[in-house]
This record gives sequence, structure tokens and C-alpha cells, in this order.
Amino acid sequence: MLTLSRVSRRYGETTALDGVDFVVPENTYMSLLGASGSGKTTLLRLIAGFEEPDQGEISIDGERIDGQPPHLRDIGFVFQNFALFPHLTVAQNVSYGLRYRANAPVSNENEIKDRTESVLSLVGLSGFGHRAISAISGGQRQRVALARTMICEPRVILLDEPLGALDANLRARMCDELKAIRERLKVSFLHVTGSETEALTMGDKVAVLSGGKIVQSDAPDTLFSHPNNVDAARHLNAWNIFEAGLCGPAMGQGTVAVRFDQIDVSAEGEVPDGRPWLRAKYLTGEFNGPTALSFFRAEDGTLLQVIDHLSQPRLPDMVEGQHYDLHFAPDAARQFHGAA
Amino acid sequence: MTALSTDTPTKPTHSPAELREKQDRRRAMGLLTPGLLWMSLFMVLPMCMVVYVSFWTQTTFAVESTLTTASWERFLSSSTYLSAIGTTLRVWAIVLVATVVVGYPVALFIGLFVRNKTFQTALLVACVIPFWTSFLIRVIAWRPMLGTEGAINVILMKLGIISEPLTFLLFSEFSVLVGMTQIYCVFMVGPITFMLGRIDPSVIEAARDLGASFGTIFRRIILPLSLPGVMVGSIFVSVMVLGEFATAASLSGRKVNLLGNIIVSQVGSLKWAFAAVAGVVLTIIITAVIALALRIVDLRKEM
Repeated sequence: MLTLSRVSRRYGETTALDGVDFVVPENTYMSLLGASGSGKTTLLRLIAGFEEPDQGEISIDGERIDGQPPHLRDIGFVFQNFALFPHLTVAQNVSYGLRYRANAPVSNENEIKDRTESVLSLVGLSGFGHRAISAISGGQRQRVALARTMICEPRVILLDEPLGALDANLRARMCDELKAIRERLKVSFLHVTGSETEALTMGDKVAVLSGGKIVQSDAPDTLFSHPNNVDAARHLNAWNIFEAGLCGPAMGQGTVAVRFDQIDVSAEGEVPDGRPWLRAKYLTGEFNGPTALSFFRAEDGTLLQVIDHLSQPRLPDMVEGQHYDLHFAPDAARQFHGAA
Repeated sequence: MTALSTDTPTKPTHSPAELREKQDRRRAMGLLTPGLLWMSLFMVLPMCMVVYVSFWTQTTFAVESTLTTASWERFLSSSTYLSAIGTTLRVWAIVLVATVVVGYPVALFIGLFVRNKTFQTALLVACVIPFWTSFLIRVIAWRPMLGTEGAINVILMKLGIISEPLTFLLFSEFSVLVGMTQIYCVFMVGPITFMLGRIDPSVIEAARDLGASFGTIFRRIILPLSLPGVMVGSIFVSVMVLGEFATAASLSGRKVNLLGNIIVSQVGSLKWAFAAVAGVVLTIIITAVIALALRIVDLRKEM
């Protein structure tokens, strides 16, 4: 179990991490969702030991690891750009850790060969050992990077936007493979990403990093349907967030979040009884295939989105520039108090 | 019957691909011509001339174009000249090793440990500052440093480490080696710094994450990745040191005779054929050294 408590990191005037409390349980695929610049890479670099926290503690199974040099921490790090050794072959890259680590290096060539081959077959690259790094594709490099990290059997594997450098098709396939590989290895993965779909698909648990803090850490479905705060809701890219005052006195004070798919639209003044509503101007629609997004501008300028599934259309025909009433079931709204 | 003609037009027109190819070839020729002209006029032609002249007949005051191998025989049978080859090779090897030993750590610091690009450039420029004075001044400046009354002897005597001035410091092979190392070191630092600067920092972090200590990372990752820089630096230093004569002339007190010094003195006494022999020998040595360097590191992979 990897535990971070009250971890802070500042660069001059800017605070990258501000008292992060975070737990990665044993044998878990943990996703860490954060916008670019939210400090996710900093968090990984602190865990791996490339940088040290200004405050706070990092420990694995109760043993403190902050302050230890990175090569003695026994933590795997898969880089976004893979960071393979360009002058070595695939097999030499993969066996690097076994051969040259300061702690218990393996010198038996047969053992190195066997373990290299078995980890290469685990990532689906049997028979690629003799290839040069420049002679394999992006997806294969990703696998070599993963194999190189896994062969040392680290206590936790950190993945820094591991799919960012791959094309969309490959990304979907690597998603499934990463999950399957992790289940076979039974080691915890901490996967950092800026994509909410990737985080929700991959994670057994998803944590949201915002403003230098972990704002929520939950199972993906819980996080998606019950974000605890505005920041978490905003990162999911599925919630309209607006001032309660826009709905009149019905919703009281504070900030309200309603999911894109739980808002209905009707002509002005035709809202069914008992449903809170707000008035907004229809801006434009966007057709995405199976779904269609409609954009509205509320009176205070907030942008609102309504999603419509083609199989079950529920929006009326709308004219750009006209005002409509957007309404939702009272229990569909999540209300947050405090600053948005 | 009017059928649609399926014949291609018989008029000999060129396809766009052919035209493009022609244009590219013309451009390549245009870019190559000045260099080719220059090299053939001022390098290939004179080289052939040197080889030719080395077989001319040398008399005391003149040289005539009757072919003979006399100059070669005299050169290859004289222990003075053969030992000059030995001295040249020895000085070259020692200076090469010294520039690597002194230059590599400097390059390692500038290229790998200084991550600020501006500071990096400033440090590299600082390495070039000595070149703002003339070559001869830089060489001669070693005399007040190394001489019997020079700075080093005075300091060592004041500190009581030695009682007599050290005489091997100046007008010896040692002073030639020191002078050459100082002058040519920067040609080693530059290429190595460049190669080290190209190493992706995350590659080094990855090696560290895999459990390797800094020493291992240096041996297994940093050194192999910077070797092409060492090779390019070595080629620069080799070419310059092998053809050297000025440092030896002004710092050795005429005790160290390099092939370059022989050429200078033979040309000075109008022994053209003999100077040509030394020139050909020197050219063969330099060619061999460069061929060897290129064999050790495949520069094609680094371009």
C-alpha cells in the first residue's frame, strides 16, 4: 500500500502540490485524473524519487521512502515518451534493471535470458528481443517500456500518461492489455492521465487531482454519478455547473451540478410542474454520431451542454438564438456549498 | 470506324516525375560545384603534386623533375626522421588522451548537469575565450608559467615543496604536451558537450528508476551515448596535433622534432623533394588515424 500524507511541493512562488493525502491500495489499478499543469507528473516524480517533497511523508507498507535515492526505492516508472535506451536492443533494454541494479543484481546469464523472454511474451513481444529500438513501432516501444519496468517486480508501477503518445486505435487496445497485464502481475498500477474516459475505463479506483489536492478518490461509477465537489464534477466533463440562483428560489444558494444527459429542454414557460428550471439561449448543436450535444448560454453567461442520444431523442426542434427552458428532476441535481 | 485511341501519345514528353528528378539533380550539382572546384584545385591537385615532387631529384640548391626514389630512401633509412615519426605519434597519443581526460568531465558538467540552456551556452563561450588572443601568444604565455623562474617553480619553492627549480617543465616534451592539451582541449569539449546535451534526461531517470547507481548509469548509458562526440572531438584534435609544428618550435627549445617541424625546416632550406616525402608520410598517418576512428564509431547512425 502506497500512502502519501500531507505532501507539498513548491517551485518558487507556484505551489504544484498542496498537502496531498492519497492512498493506492494493494493490487489495484488506480487512475489519477488531472488537467495538464495540475501537478500529476510532479506527484509521480515525488513518489519515484526524482524530486523530494517540501513537506509531508511518502511511505510503502508503513516504510518511509521519501529521502531515499530513486534507485533504491523499488518503484517502477513508465515514462510518457518511453525513455528507452536508444543504443541497446529490446532485450538489453528489458534486462537492464536485472543486470545493473545496485540491489541484488542478477549475473546468471541464463536466468536473465529466461526472465527477459518471459516478460517479453507477457507483453506480446516474443521474438523481438534482438531488434533495435529504432526498428519497432510506437505501440511496441510502449510495451518494451512496460516490460523493462515489470521485470524488476517493483512494489508499485507508476505510468505517466502511458497512452498519450499512441494513436487512438492503439490506445484502446493498450487499455485492455494494461488491465490484463496488471491482473496477472498482481501489483498496483498508478496511471496518470488527463482524459476522463481513460481514467474511468482503466481504474478500479479513480482519484481526481485539482489545485494541488486530491479532491476525490472513489470507484469510477461512484465518482461519475456522485462527485463530492465542484472540482471533481468539472474534471468529469459530464456535468453542467451553475449558480443555484439561476433556477430562482427553488434550488436555494450555492452551486448546482446537473449531468449533460439529465437535462431536458422545453419551450419557454412549458416546464412540467415540480421540476427546477433555468432559462438559456440555444447557441448551436454538435453531432457526434450516436450522440448529439446542444450548447446553451444561461443568463449569467454560463455555458450549458445537453446531450441527446439518437436512439432516444428527447429534445424538441430548436432554433439558434431562441431562448428555451432547461429543466431537470430535483434529485438529478447535486448541490455544493462554498466557492465554485 | 472511329475507336477510342488507347495508344499513349508518341511525342517524347517527360512525365512530371522525370522533370522533378532532373530538377533535383540540377540543384544537387549546383550545390556541389563550388566545393568540388575548390577541393580539386586546392587539395587534390596539390596533393598529387606533392606525391610527384617527392620523387624528384634533389641537389643541394635545386630540385629537378628527374624521377628518383633517393629522397624516400634517405628518409626511410635515417633514424632522425624515423624517430620523428615516433615522436609525432607519441605526442599525438598523449595529447589525445589528455584532452579526453581534461575535456570529458568539463563536457559532462556543461552538457548534463547544467540544464539551463543560456548558462550552458555561456560556459561554452567561456571555453573559447582563450582563442580571442593569437595562437602564438597563447603558446608563448606558457613560458613565464613553466620556466625555471616561472610561476609554477616560484610557487612550489615558496611553499617549500621543492628546493631546486624543476627543469623538465619548460623546453622539453612535457611543455609541448601541456601547451597542446590546453590549446586543443576545447575541440574535444565542444562535440562531447553537444552529444551529452542530446541525451534525453528521462533516459537517465529511467536507468535510475531501474535501480542503477550513477556509476553504472555513466558506464552503461551516458558514456556509450556520448562516444560519437568523443570520436568527432578526437578527429579534430588528431588532425590538428599531427600537423603541428608551432607549439613544438616555441616550447620545446628545438628538442622535440615532429614531422611538421621537419617539413618547415626542409622547406626553409629549399629541400622541396624531401619536404614532400615528409608531407606524404604525414598525410598517410592522418588518413590512417581518421579511418581508424571512423571504424570504431559508426557516425552514420548519429547523423
